[in-house]
Amino acid sequence: MTVEIEEGMLVRVQQENFSLDQELERVRTRSTRIGGIAMFLGTARDRSKGHDVSSMTFEHYEGMAQKRLKEIRERALQDFDIIEALVLHRYGPIEIGENIVLIIIGAEHRADAFKACQWCIDELKKITPIWKMEYTPQGDVWVEEHP
Amino acid sequence: MAQVRLFGMLKTLVSGVSILEISLPDGAQVKDLVDSLHAQYPDLGELLIQKKVVVSVNQEIAHWEAALVESDEIALLPPFAGGA
Repeated sequence: MTVEIEEGMLVRVQQENFSLDQELERVRTRSTRIGGIAMFLGTARDRSKGHDVSSMTFEHYEGMAQKRLKEIRERALQDFDIIEALVLHRYGPIEIGENIVLIIIGAEHRADAFKACQWCIDELKKITPIWKMEYTPQGDVWVEEHP
Repeated sequence: MAQVRLFGMLKTLVSGVSILEISLPDGAQVKDLVDSLHAQYPDLGELLIQKKVVVSVNQEIAHWEAALVESDEIALLPPFAGGA
């Protein structure tokens, strides 16, 4: 059985925090065929490239960022044997330890869920117009690259 | 005048502004915009020439030969840094 849900809830760029329980439930209840769920949660850490970070701010390109996340979800659903994908990213000021990004994949089996989850976060970093400024004791730094 | 949106660290190269107004000739291509930006803002232009910054037109990454009109939504995108 598949439960209908507005696609917009499965791809979001938002300022406010999100509830892991609510988002997990959103994916879990999509289909009774789901037997494995993989999740990646990115959080704000207090250390970056050898310096302390006190907080950060994410800037996004309104419209284009949403389009790219939608594209990532659609490609994941097309290219992997999965049932549902949820992709969220926050913007604005974020304190250390807070949630930043969330990928949740529901599939029949774990292998496809893990593979799709890894692909989604890697692709998000590559193609989504989002930028991070870190606040450090040495000053404010725009982060330019990701490992 | 075409409006060119700037994101991330690019704003620090142009006194903190987030939108530049650039005059485009008829039949302009992205490369004409790059030339114009390079002349007015050499640091910004250098990043474009080195392809460290890409140009988007109407929210799609554009090639340098792509045609531009002043009503296009033009943006300069430094390397992305989403995720955690």
